[in-house]
Amino acid sequence: MKTLLFSFLALLLTAPAAAQVTVDGTVTDGTDPLIGVSVQVPGTGSGTITDLDGRYELTVPAGSDSLSFSYIGFSPQRVAIGGRTTIDIVLGEASEVLQEVVVIGYGIQQKDDLTGAVGVVEAEQLTDIPTQSLGQSLQGKVSGLQIIPGSGAPGADAIFRIRGIGTLNNADPLFVVDGMILNDISFLNPQDVESVSVLKDASATAIYGARGANGVIIITTKQGDGEGQITVNAYAGTQEVVRQIDVLNATQYATLINEADVNAGRQPRFANPEQYGEGTNWQDVIFQQAPIYNAQLSFLGGGEQSSFNLSANYYKQEGIIKGSGYDRFTTRINNTRRVKDWLTVAGNLSLGYNTSDNVPTGSILATAYRADPISVPRDSAGNFSNVSAIGNTGNPLATIEYTNNRSQTYRAVGNAYADVRFLQDFTFRTNFGIDFVYDRNRNFSPVFVVSPSQQNLISDISVSNSYRRNWLWENTLNYAHDFGIHHVDGVAGVTYQDNFGEFISGTRQDLIGEDPSFYYLNSGDVTTATNSNGTSGGNWGLVSYLGRLNYTFDSRYLITVSGRVDGSSRFGDNYRYGFFPSVGLGWNISNEDFWNDGGPVSRLKLRASWGRTGNDRIGDFDYIPRVASGVGAVFGGEPVLLPGATVSSLANPDLRWEETEQTDLGVEVGLFNNQLLFEADVYRKFTSGVLFPAPIPDYIGADPAVRNVAEVLNRGLDLSASWRAGTGTFRYSVGANASFVHNEVVTLDGNTQNRFGGALGVGGQLGTNSQPGTAAGSFFGYEAIGVFQNEEQLGQFAQLNGRQQVGDIIYRDVNGDGVVNAANDRVVLGSAIPDMTLGINGSFSYSGLELSFDVTGQFGNEVINAKQMARFGAYNYEQRWLDRFTGEGSSNVIPRATIGGPNFENLSSLYVEDGSYVRLRNVTLGYRFATALTDRLRMQSLRVYVNGTNLVTSQKYTGYNPEIYNGSVFDNGIDRGDIYPIARTITAGIDVTF
Amino acid sequence: MPPIMQTMQPLYKFLVLALLVAGAPACTDVLDRTPQGEYTLDNFFQTEEQAVQSVNAVYNQLRSWETHVFSFIGMTDIVSDDSDKGSTPSDGFFLQEIDQFTYAPTNVAPSTVWAGYYTGIFRANLVIENLPEVPAIDESLRTRLNGEASFLRAYFYFNLVRWFGGVPLLLEPFPTNFEIARASAGEVYAQIESDLQTAISALPASYAAADIGRATSGAAKSMLAKVALTRGNWQRAADLSLEVINSGRYELYPTFSGIFTQEGENSSESIFEVQAAAFEIGGGGSQYNEVQGVRGVPNLGWGFNRPSDDLAASFEAGDPRRDATILYVGEVLPDGSGIVEGDPNIDGERFNQKAFVTDHPGGNGNGPGNIRILRYADLLLIAAEALNELNRQEEALMYLNMVRARARGGANVLPDVTTTDQGELRQAIWRERRSELALEQHRWFDLVRTNRSFEVMKPLRPNFTQNKNELFPIPQTEIDLSEGALEQNPGYN
Repeated sequence: MKTLLFSFLALLLTAPAAAQVTVDGTVTDGTDPLIGVSVQVPGTGSGTITDLDGRYELTVPAGSDSLSFSYIGFSPQRVAIGGRTTIDIVLGEASEVLQEVVVIGYGIQQKDDLTGAVGVVEAEQLTDIPTQSLGQSLQGKVSGLQIIPGSGAPGADAIFRIRGIGTLNNADPLFVVDGMILNDISFLNPQDVESVSVLKDASATAIYGARGANGVIIITTKQGDGEGQITVNAYAGTQEVVRQIDVLNATQYATLINEADVNAGRQPRFANPEQYGEGTNWQDVIFQQAPIYNAQLSFLGGGEQSSFNLSANYYKQEGIIKGSGYDRFTTRINNTRRVKDWLTVAGNLSLGYNTSDNVPTGSILATAYRADPISVPRDSAGNFSNVSAIGNTGNPLATIEYTNNRSQTYRAVGNAYADVRFLQDFTFRTNFGIDFVYDRNRNFSPVFVVSPSQQNLISDISVSNSYRRNWLWENTLNYAHDFGIHHVDGVAGVTYQDNFGEFISGTRQDLIGEDPSFYYLNSGDVTTATNSNGTSGGNWGLVSYLGRLNYTFDSRYLITVSGRVDGSSRFGDNYRYGFFPSVGLGWNISNEDFWNDGGPVSRLKLRASWGRTGNDRIGDFDYIPRVASGVGAVFGGEPVLLPGATVSSLANPDLRWEETEQTDLGVEVGLFNNQLLFEADVYRKFTSGVLFPAPIPDYIGADPAVRNVAEVLNRGLDLSASWRAGTGTFRYSVGANASFVHNEVVTLDGNTQNRFGGALGVGGQLGTNSQPGTAAGSFFGYEAIGVFQNEEQLGQFAQLNGRQQVGDIIYRDVNGDGVVNAANDRVVLGSAIPDMTLGINGSFSYSGLELSFDVTGQFGNEVINAKQMARFGAYNYEQRWLDRFTGEGSSNVIPRATIGGPNFENLSSLYVEDGSYVRLRNVTLGYRFATALTDRLRMQSLRVYVNGTNLVTSQKYTGYNPEIYNGSVFDNGIDRGDIYPIARTITAGIDVTF
Repeated sequence: MPPIMQTMQPLYKFLVLALLVAGAPACTDVLDRTPQGEYTLDNFFQTEEQAVQSVNAVYNQLRSWETHVFSFIGMTDIVSDDSDKGSTPSDGFFLQEIDQFTYAPTNVAPSTVWAGYYTGIFRANLVIENLPEVPAIDESLRTRLNGEASFLRAYFYFNLVRWFGGVPLLLEPFPTNFEIARASAGEVYAQIESDLQTAISALPASYAAADIGRATSGAAKSMLAKVALTRGNWQRAADLSLEVINSGRYELYPTFSGIFTQEGENSSESIFEVQAAAFEIGGGGSQYNEVQGVRGVPNLGWGFNRPSDDLAASFEAGDPRRDATILYVGEVLPDGSGIVEGDPNIDGERFNQKAFVTDHPGGNGNGPGNIRILRYADLLLIAAEALNELNRQEEALMYLNMVRARARGGANVLPDVTTTDQGELRQAIWRERRSELALEQHRWFDLVRTNRSFEVMKPLRPNFTQNKNELFPIPQTEIDLSEGALEQNPGYN
């Protein structure tokens, strides 16, 4: 019936006028014809619509050189005729671009109406990577969002950094899941996620006030819609370590240790190095091919009155380091019901349970790297060998064997709300959310003897349990109304949040059995019992008042004003409440009358915003002088530990939030009917009042109070572009984003010039210094400029502390005083903060075949390869030591072989490596079966695919992965050889919808 | 229901909810929180028990790494002629610099002990400032606790002033101004003497069994005798030490080597020692034993504080104290549990036998050995030295020979010293101090006190500079953080 009507209209509108040219063609959406598309000759009033086959025919008056195509729900397009008589057009769906609804704080907005910088990732982009972690799947997807994998451990979470590091403390963003405000999202199953909004500028984040300064990630989970459907997704695959570190084989090792012995004036200890051959590659000993599985079952559906989503997921990942593994079971129940015309109630609930099998992977990795290759993991009798005899390390395989450590997390996150609509334009919502976490861990060490330095003569067990609960109650009032061409909307609200947690743990020794059934405290000797109980996971409360007003004039001029007042139990009495305002302006230039609709620029929007946000992660009670216990003393003929208590830190009653002022200028451009979209933001984030324990002299005798004194600046540029096109059954899209950031500590406390940090794991040496004017956590050490070739050069160049030998590293005497020393001659050698991060993604489809890929990269960051420096025994060396100094002219880079000593114990440029990389993060090749088959199978769709993750990486860094995250801005980028490497993963999967 | 009511109905619902919100201010309670499971300074120092705990925390600092372990050993023994750094060549390199007198003001050792001792001083100051305000406390306990804190504060300052010369003299925990100049050495000593006088009058001569290890009046007197000796105040040193000797409360332990066993802890010879114990659950040990323990096989520790050749050669012929002080490769451990095996990574391997402890729970880092600060033999030699300077040689010989008699343990060695020549006797007493107290962290202070550091160290350590290395440098960071209020010691700028 409809098509008949269209045909009739088409006939009616086709003008039988005298014409010079007749143009015809077909309009499709790429696969199917589009019926009723308006085809116009701009400026002439001449036009037609397409018929039921998507075809049109149009007579073009003389002097006209273009046609425009428009269709509801699709991006309009204008094309040059260029002498052609047949023009086939593929229209792109506009809903993906301009009419996109963006989830923002306490509301949603059309992308066109946004004044803030918000990046959005949709569901289909989140499941490319086989992972349980939403964060891992976001890498390279949004400009301004840096994702650091952190660790390749099974079940590991990624680290989020939005627009640099605006603090010296915790720089994690705030997470909001379906309205519930959280500090971590490890419970989330990526396959349950509908969209992720990354709020970057102050216009977007100020409504989160004292918690917005590090950016906000808003996650919306899938809600059912339309006819009921059942989906099954499953994949399985295998993982292996991305690369191995090149260390010496046994012959090379023995040769170098002999040389080190001679250099130390000792007899060489290995008679004939060749006899040892290749020896043991300890990395082969600890790594394994590890399987990974995932299965998801979802039921979705909905209509006018209700919607539901019920899903269940099981994920299991064994680790590439033997003995490590993770599995997780999650369910989600999302329900919405329109109970009355004026009342809607809804509830979202996630229940999850995960188990981690832990081994001390840090020490296992470090040991495998250091262990002498002459030793073998097991002796001829099959017992673990003593690896400590030569190299002074443990046997990593024995560590794996004798570790029994399992942690489990039970977590429930959910919220329920009621929306009451009244007086047409108002909606009142009361929303109550809760996050409940229960963690358990037990660790059992059996009796074993591998070597004198690796033994446990009495079995022991430790058990800990903790819980944390966090509730949130939000009451908000929304208003929206159009007055002609004026649009106004706003929200105001009051919220309360309360977080508390507690742990209890205990240990015992000498268990009555070694079987897992005895892994309870009561199996141990009661006289060896210890126990501990206290608060954990935060003890804080927050009371907030928030508001936002949007005004739009004729879809051209936009203004957003928002603000929040946060009162926090963490703030000192003198600063209990903080106010965080913002204003954002937008101008949709392409909606102006003067804008030439026919030009290549189909969309142009400018944005500007300013605002102030805070970081409230400042410790719960640092404004009160507290009395620390646990400083007991022993007394008595029969010694007894008597409790002691004292003050260990000074307090600061003026403690308050860290405060970030951010200015953002953005431009959004659409070209060629928005086939090419481009967005750029330049920003400046200035954070003041950064908490810093401004050092005080040790003669004061207590730790300094933290004070709001430091200042940090981040300025940068976020760029993103996407292009989508295609003809017939071939369609493709590519996108790229790049983020440039400059990070700088402006001041520490006005006086302090050095903030050392970053333990190198070598005799207490520190590797970073966050001096004013440098990037936070800058690497700080000597510049290695050569190797002393002979006695003459010992006189010619300054020596470290005035005493070095031939074959030692020559360090640059920066101040030229004739001696190299720590006080005067160390310089900035790099930083873990990349100058630029990059993401490129693309997808191609042809008939049922689909190919997609992600490339991620970072540039301009460095890594301290600190694992090379720690040498507490005759550890193995990396391959580059084959090119060491062995006599004049042999090497001017790598010093002589020594077991340890000054060439290793001082951070120099010799140990700083380029951390830039480009990685093919993901490639997926899929096939979607034709409807002919799926209909027969009574499926709506059927897709199979193979996926490769971390397939290829181009990096200069010699370690596993240059993305080194150790948890603190002062400590990042230092590779102590203990970070779980990431895996290369190959999976195959199937997605079925019934 | 009339139509108007129907349209109003949502509004009613809204009003109910609005009331709910209005009632919400009760929720501002979420801001009223206090730390859980711990006191704040506002509600502490209210009971006797808390007062005692605050003093226990001062004792706690005596067991810490900073106060009496790694750097402490470095700046008392390793720096002296008694021992070398030990361990492997690259391990703990800053102590090698201490050993060789190549350390700079940035060296870790001086800043570590500086921080450790001032932490102790802070805790003592916290007690001394708050004790008077504690309500309802037994007055004699209040007095005693003040005496204990005063004794410990004096001890902390005594080591600081011997290492660094004059230091900032903090007598309250929360000074308003953090830029505090160094007091003169004389001012520091005056405060030490005043604190020890307070302790002498406040402390009991002994404690019930449960409180053994707390400072006694005898400890305070003995410490004051040592202070007087250090200051060259012979009369005072002699008077105080004789007072302690004549009290009859102390006597030499029957065997020399027995002093350093578990049985020898808190013995008749003990005047003051830091209490440590290796509980199954930990918490009471120190790393004092570990850092000096046998490194390698058996694996008992890190092998620092290696007895020097010079020390080994310094003992008189047949002195049993040599073998009781030095643990050699191939030697059976003092408890007979094993034999020390050689480690190719360590040059000239030897260990401090006095720091040896038998197998104990909690790992090497949970060492049970009490750290002997002041024992009766030390006091006898203080008396002997002071009396010799006062030309009372006969008395001096008596006390000196008491120490030698115990040391010889019945063997035909170490004959009594008989000289009454003041100079010869002085040398004999000094030599006796070295043999008796070797590797008990007294040697460096004795060398400096007797102005012998140059003559003794220069031949062994060519880098030793006179009028410089007698004192350690003020830690550079302290000078920086004091905003220039602190001045560096001579020769270190």
